[in-house]
Amino acid sequence: MPSILQDYLPIVIFMSLCMFITLLLILPPLLIAPKNPDPEKLSPYECGFEPFDDARSKFDIRFYLVAILFIIFDLEVAFLFPWALVFGDIGLFGFFSMMLFLGILTIGFIYEWKKGALEWD
Amino acid sequence: MFPVLLFYIFSLAIIASALMVIFSKQPINSVLFLIFSFINAAGIFLLAGAEFLALIMVIVYVGAVAVLFLFVIMMLDFNPDTIKKEVGKHLYVGLFIGFILFLEIILMMYSPELFSYEYQIVGNTVKTSLTNTEILGNLIYTEYFLQFQISGFILLVAMIGAIVLTLRHRDYVRRQIVSDQVARDPKLSIELVDIKLKIRK
Amino acid sequence: MVIELGHYLVLASMLFTIGVIGVFLNRENVIIILMSLELILLSISINLVAFSSFLNDSSGQIFSLFILTVAAGEAAIGLAILVVYFRNVGNIEVDQINKMSG
Repeated sequence: MPSILQDYLPIVIFMSLCMFITLLLILPPLLIAPKNPDPEKLSPYECGFEPFDDARSKFDIRFYLVAILFIIFDLEVAFLFPWALVFGDIGLFGFFSMMLFLGILTIGFIYEWKKGALEWD
Repeated sequence: MFPVLLFYIFSLAIIASALMVIFSKQPINSVLFLIFSFINAAGIFLLAGAEFLALIMVIVYVGAVAVLFLFVIMMLDFNPDTIKKEVGKHLYVGLFIGFILFLEIILMMYSPELFSYEYQIVGNTVKTSLTNTEILGNLIYTEYFLQFQISGFILLVAMIGAIVLTLRHRDYVRRQIVSDQVARDPKLSIELVDIKLKIRK
Repeated sequence: MVIELGHYLVLASMLFTIGVIGVFLNRENVIIILMSLELILLSISINLVAFSSFLNDSSGQIFSLFILTVAAGEAAIGLAILVVYFRNVGNIEVDQINKMSG
């Protein structure tokens, strides 16, 4: 077996064990448990009375903005990982290349701070 | 044998969940199947030896992009039951183009030279002593300097664009401005007034 | 029984086809169209990774990383436009976005 798969063999075993146990917990109740549904049983239950409104309630747009900014900085960190690993090999040019990249994103960060996108009022 | 089996499991899961993405009624289910297909694609990348890319795939797509899709679906507050599926309207165009593309796949499958390179991708042993991430790192920041900076600008544009498009400050909310609070001076805010009390006799 | 370049290419082209059909099929929901675009980009990434392993050249993986960046930016801006559009109009059907066509 090649080396790369040998390295990841524990993860594969872990995943298949997860799947096996999950199926073991889901499948037998599906097959064995008695089912005789009626409309009252199937209706949504909200502390004993009828539900007041739809379960789909609107989110604030602020959550979305935070999620977008998270994606941007997530990708920034993704680019930082290999840089940190080969820091000694790529020399001064690689260092300043990364600094330029971080500088560009810092401009965006300053803009976002000044616009008040991080404030939560 | 075992890696080959894994490849077929992963690709079957990708294809099945991609079909579920485009055919399921609820957008929420589509997003969840999209996540599943991305995880399986990470497995496919891993089998091809692209370890770093596989893990970044899980972090970025599953951790961020899919969450973004989930947020938008929760935020838009439209009821999928009220949307009537007008499937027949564009179905024929879609099926026509899909049929042509599918024909190309069949043609490719019947071209035997593609499968006779004697170079197996899954199960290819790596020769160098460097890890996959180090190989990538040696190239990105020096060889592909320009592309790297362009991707930085793309991220900048995405950030500024998202803020410009979606950020609305509500006027009726009174915000806390910490610097104003700190700079507040008792002389300016407190007025001492002498009140002459007349005591009535 | 080994997995070669052809297997990867077949997988990628099937995924690409599914993505293209998804764009045509879901005309009443822009979100699923955006998801189909993500599927198409994923299939391109699979192609690049397969060729990078086949040619023993890491450039394919690097460009796949850049594709990932572009896909994240595209999802962020596309969904932001979608949110603004929904706030102004109230639905997200593609066939009704024809105000600019005169």
